[in-house]
Amino acid sequence: MSLEPQEIVDLKSKIGREPTSTELQIVAAEWSEHCSYKSSKKHLKMLPMTGPLVISEKGYDSGVLDVGDGYVITAHIESHNHPSAVEPYGGAATGVGGVIRDILSAGTRPIAIFDGLRFGNIEKDPQARWLFKNAVTGIADYGNCLGIPTIGGEVEFDECYSNYALVDVAAVGFGKKENLIKNHANKGDLVVLMGGATGRDGIGGSQFASDSLESENRSAVQIPDPFIEKLIIEAILEARNHHLIKALKDLGGGGLSCALSETADTLGIGIEMDVDKVHTREPGMDPDEIMISESQERMLIITSKQKLKKLQEICKKFRIACSVIGHVTSGNLLHVKKGNKTFANISTEIVANAPLLDRTSKKPAYLETIQKEKKLRPISNFSKTMMALISSPNIASKIWVYGQYDHEVGIRTVVKPGQDASVLRLDNGKFLSVKIDGNPKHCYINPREGAIGCFEEACRNVVCTGARPIGMLDHLQFGNPENPEIFWTFLESLKGITDFAKYFKIPCIGGKVSLYNETPAGPIKPTPLIGVLGLIDKNSLISPKVEDEDCLIIIGDTKNELGGSEYYEYIHHFVGGNCPIVDFKESKRNMETVLHVIKKGIIKNAHDCSKGGLAVGAFELCMTNQIGCQISLDKVPGEKLDSDKILFSESHSRYLLVVEKKNFQKLETILQKNKVSYRMIGKFGGNKIQFNRGKKSLIDLSVDKAQKAWINSLRELVLNG
Amino acid sequence: MATYTVHVTIENKPGISDPEGETILNDLVLKGSHKSVSKIKTAKMLKFTIKEKDKKTAGKKIQEICDELRIYNPMVSKVTIDVFD
Repeated sequence: MSLEPQEIVDLKSKIGREPTSTELQIVAAEWSEHCSYKSSKKHLKMLPMTGPLVISEKGYDSGVLDVGDGYVITAHIESHNHPSAVEPYGGAATGVGGVIRDILSAGTRPIAIFDGLRFGNIEKDPQARWLFKNAVTGIADYGNCLGIPTIGGEVEFDECYSNYALVDVAAVGFGKKENLIKNHANKGDLVVLMGGATGRDGIGGSQFASDSLESENRSAVQIPDPFIEKLIIEAILEARNHHLIKALKDLGGGGLSCALSETADTLGIGIEMDVDKVHTREPGMDPDEIMISESQERMLIITSKQKLKKLQEICKKFRIACSVIGHVTSGNLLHVKKGNKTFANISTEIVANAPLLDRTSKKPAYLETIQKEKKLRPISNFSKTMMALISSPNIASKIWVYGQYDHEVGIRTVVKPGQDASVLRLDNGKFLSVKIDGNPKHCYINPREGAIGCFEEACRNVVCTGARPIGMLDHLQFGNPENPEIFWTFLESLKGITDFAKYFKIPCIGGKVSLYNETPAGPIKPTPLIGVLGLIDKNSLISPKVEDEDCLIIIGDTKNELGGSEYYEYIHHFVGGNCPIVDFKESKRNMETVLHVIKKGIIKNAHDCSKGGLAVGAFELCMTNQIGCQISLDKVPGEKLDSDKILFSESHSRYLLVVEKKNFQKLETILQKNKVSYRMIGKFGGNKIQFNRGKKSLIDLSVDKAQKAWINSLRELVLNG
Repeated sequence: MATYTVHVTIENKPGISDPEGETILNDLVLKGSHKSVSKIKTAKMLKFTIKEKDKKTAGKKIQEICDELRIYNPMVSKVTIDVFD
């Protein structure tokens, strides 16, 4: 149990008596950082959460956006870091399960899964390899069994995650607006628990997630069962179609305690329940264990007496256990009984609203000096450096990962993983493009600008498919918030995200805060993750193959911004330098221009420059299209810089466009009219990728050689060490 | 030196759910007429053949191998080692 002494005093004064042991367990679960957001809640209010497309209803676990023609999409993001660090297979799989039930609880069908994975240095650390391999298998096994495509995400490796794992899972749902569950309840309604049996697994998981990970404290392990989850999805959707559900809630962290107290508090009702009615996996569980068990694949439904029979028939048809565990009362008490004996009787307003904290914040000392540049050894052979970069775990193709995921099931996937962002077809003829992005290397050097950069990168990726960003999810992952320096980085990142969201009018439709992410060696780097959803009204940009004579154009200025770049960190092992900074005006201008030229059908392909800079961006275009390209660095717009800086700077707001020669004039007219900084920097053709400066050849590699290294290196590393 | 057969049985710890075992019980066994069965647990078994000086060392060596190579996850699994002549 993890209540602070002060919190126990608070609790006693609020209820005016000694709490019972069950009450203490319930409150400890709900007041944990994981469930109550007690450190962050006050500050999260700064994010813009409304917009013309946002539909907000009480009690939703996921964000809802109106996509027109009577349809909505829902989206949510979750992490399962602590469980995945001790049991990567089960932890990652149950993470997928949890976020899918959040989508389901709004009454929409989950249609896609995304995952962001972060581990230690897999080149050196066998433990990191083991975590990585098993987390990927866990996600693949779970998602593939459910028939929901896993269509995107990202994978990153950094020393700061040694002996730890960040497993972030996002899901998107789709449905009719009229079918959304309007959470409500009346006195006398029944409280039904459906799905898997309640067992001793995952007891105290939410408190576990709120403690730093120590080796002796590794008891909360959850076992995934995707087949029950699939049955739950179908049963809930059928019950929804028959209007049998008045309110719906997924059981996640904190189990029954949190689901019941949060539902009662948001709907303004009381709930009386009997723990003997809960279907358990093993006999002899005591009330405390039943209340805080985090057994997976369970949903809480509130239905009326008249509709119970039909609901039970549906559960029977799908062979899912369901039990009536209690009923709705007036007032706001959560009354937990076992037979006639009362074990807890406590105001849900008190349980669901933990005392919020004012954490102190202080600028970390390391930030004073980190932006200082260092004289690095000059590169003598750029071709060799380039080969090292494209084979490095962070830049190499992630086909070994997404190749294990079924990314086409459901036949909505129009643009598959491996591109900037994946695209899904919606039933109303529109398309949805989604991307999640994070960059702890940038965020470590500058928490504010780094977080803004992640946001812009996710937007850029979505824009490259021709989609306009309509909503965002944020997932803020930091170390121990009791450390003022860590809390400062959290606040800075949040402020940056807020500023960007407000300027671009992209509402935050959901998110998660995960704190206490500490490894034996210390806190993780600040790791905010941003998911952006974009909508395409007509056609998505499906890039035709790049051919000889096509032109390569770069949009946006290249600046001396290599702090936190793959080049500095992977090649030179130098952590420091200038973090890339987004100029909001330039960013908007470039974004609008790219969207415009895609809509007009002028360009063949759009790709963003991010990790590894211009060099890696251009290589990716060549390798995916199996064509060579001759690029001149003299033409790249921006500051006058050394060759290595032009090649590998990770400045934001830059796009690479591929255009047919005959359309270049048209493109140029638009770019000039919009006053966008651009240049034609290369021509495609042949089978060599060449970068020149003046008459000097810097990089000269054959496409085949580069492509082979890029595609195979990650798999080789995972399988053969 | 003698040759021993060592069986390593890896199963979920008691109290942790076992979806595969439950599915076999509910969907195969109980659907027939075998109502006397009350529980099925799945496990994975590895059969090692090893040359060692005695039975005890053989068992110990195999335990070490399984721990070192992460053949099972001690957080989730219970491991039973049986050595046969």
